[in-house]
Amino acid sequence: MMITSKPVSRRDILGKGAAAAAAPLIVPASVLGLSGATPPSDRVTLGGLGIGSRGARVLQSFLAQQDVQFLAICDVRDERREAIKSIADKKYGNSDCKMYADQEELWARRDIDAVLIATGDRWHAPLSILTARAGKDVYCEKPCSMTIAESRALADTFQRLGRVYQAGTQRRNGVNFNRAFDLARGGKLGKVHTLHAEVGPGDRWPPATTHAWLPEEPEPPRQVVDWDRWLGPAPWRPYNSAYVQGKWRGYFDFHGGGILEWGAHTVDLCQWVAGLDGTAPVEYDPKGMGSDTPYTVECRYANGLRLVMRDKGFMGLGSCAFRVEGDAGWVETADSGTIETAEKLWAEVESVPREVAAEATTRHVRDFLDCVKSRKAPRANALAAAQTHIACHAAYIAFQLGRKLRFDPATDTFPGDEQANRMRSRAMRVPWRL
Amino acid sequence: MPQGQKAPAMSDPRYGSAEQIMALSAPKLAALLKDPSATLYAKAKACQRLAVVGDRAAVPALASLLGDEKLSHYARTGLEPIPDPSVDDALRAALPKLKGKLLTGVINSIGQRRDPKAIEPLARLIYDADPEVARAASAALARIRPGI
Repeated sequence: MMITSKPVSRRDILGKGAAAAAAPLIVPASVLGLSGATPPSDRVTLGGLGIGSRGARVLQSFLAQQDVQFLAICDVRDERREAIKSIADKKYGNSDCKMYADQEELWARRDIDAVLIATGDRWHAPLSILTARAGKDVYCEKPCSMTIAESRALADTFQRLGRVYQAGTQRRNGVNFNRAFDLARGGKLGKVHTLHAEVGPGDRWPPATTHAWLPEEPEPPRQVVDWDRWLGPAPWRPYNSAYVQGKWRGYFDFHGGGILEWGAHTVDLCQWVAGLDGTAPVEYDPKGMGSDTPYTVECRYANGLRLVMRDKGFMGLGSCAFRVEGDAGWVETADSGTIETAEKLWAEVESVPREVAAEATTRHVRDFLDCVKSRKAPRANALAAAQTHIACHAAYIAFQLGRKLRFDPATDTFPGDEQANRMRSRAMRVPWRL
Repeated sequence: MPQGQKAPAMSDPRYGSAEQIMALSAPKLAALLKDPSATLYAKAKACQRLAVVGDRAAVPALASLLGDEKLSHYARTGLEPIPDPSVDDALRAALPKLKGKLLTGVINSIGQRRDPKAIEPLARLIYDADPEVARAASAALARIRPGI
């Protein structure tokens, strides 16, 4: 006899189970969605990969949502696994959060719908891609890729598999940034001609990375820190505790440099406000490449729009400043929530308190969860994130080469520039590949 | 100096710091790779720089490291972007000489470069006893000929 079966999803089981269990005496109210609780069939079950300090803040935004159940954490560091489990168990009043050192075990959990990825940058794109292939949706911290090639692979994978992806570029859901967006897109600035994105301030996030290695230290036992897994797709180098304690930024093998560090947010806002999420600038002209700040990368889109990536010269409204200039006015805002405009536009827009501006991550998480349920694309979807990152990578390549570059967004190539083209990808360490 | 760097970075007794090594010309970088006194560090940095400036002349020196446990990935890093067919020849020539992770890495690089001449040897490797090698060969074939 042939036995046929169709895949049964977790929600099928939960849905039918809840319907069959009509006897209310044995079903807790929370299971049926009473008392304001979200029934299991409507909850998004979440796992975490590599959650450190920033990731823990994002996790808190997830845990604050009624319809999220955090089930498992995977990390190469035992103390991190324990810390995140402790947060989850405290939230739920149980000890159910599972811990893994190998992401394969987390991916094998069929009861996990979505994964929060907050590892170091070198892992972001490959883990996102593999998580999507494991059938799960992804919220991934920025920067989302190390190269142009990774960025494209990210966008292609999520498009092909139909998984939901949200980059951790939460300012797309920040209230003040949305008000600036509405002002510009509503035509109040006239014809927009120039966008300004704050990239890593040189004193905090220098644009250049180094190829240096720190001195070798004894490698800890694998159960404490799995150094090989920490390195992941990045080139091997000797162990040094500084890297695993979060001091990996600034090293070429692990970090995309200062332009990408803030540009992942602010160039992203520029792409968004310009309605150019599907493309990237076609010219990149770096200035001030020495160690001294300020530095800029002047970019131009195919439609003539200017994008200026710079680390200085904003109005002091906080970190991640962005500014839009049109022929009828301008607007600038940043993380303080303050919105400055041309005088004639003062009545058109109001600043928001810093605490409201700071709600961006929670709103961004909510946007992701809603899209996990609706299967729509979140604001910082994979294509939008990929194009932003491609623009930042292209800018950093121009910066490293110290010359103006032309770029073809249709092919992700630098026409006629062999050296620049060589810098679009990096070989990954085995077993990782795009 | 990167965030949190407390100790001085490593350097090679002869070739110096990463910055000094990466300032060398392509011929000097290729010569460094053949220098038995050069440290692993210096060779790793030379491979990374050759990824940007290396040419046909650097291919033999880079290819000679494909069987080196510590430097094979760096050699692939150097070879993959060099736009010369001698790289494809070198990677294909390495296939029968390597096993395990090193073989998997070379297969991945062949896939990245989409070398159509590698279809036949890769097709044999999809039946390799090492599942990682077999998976890599399948993935490389899919990149070279997406229709198969």
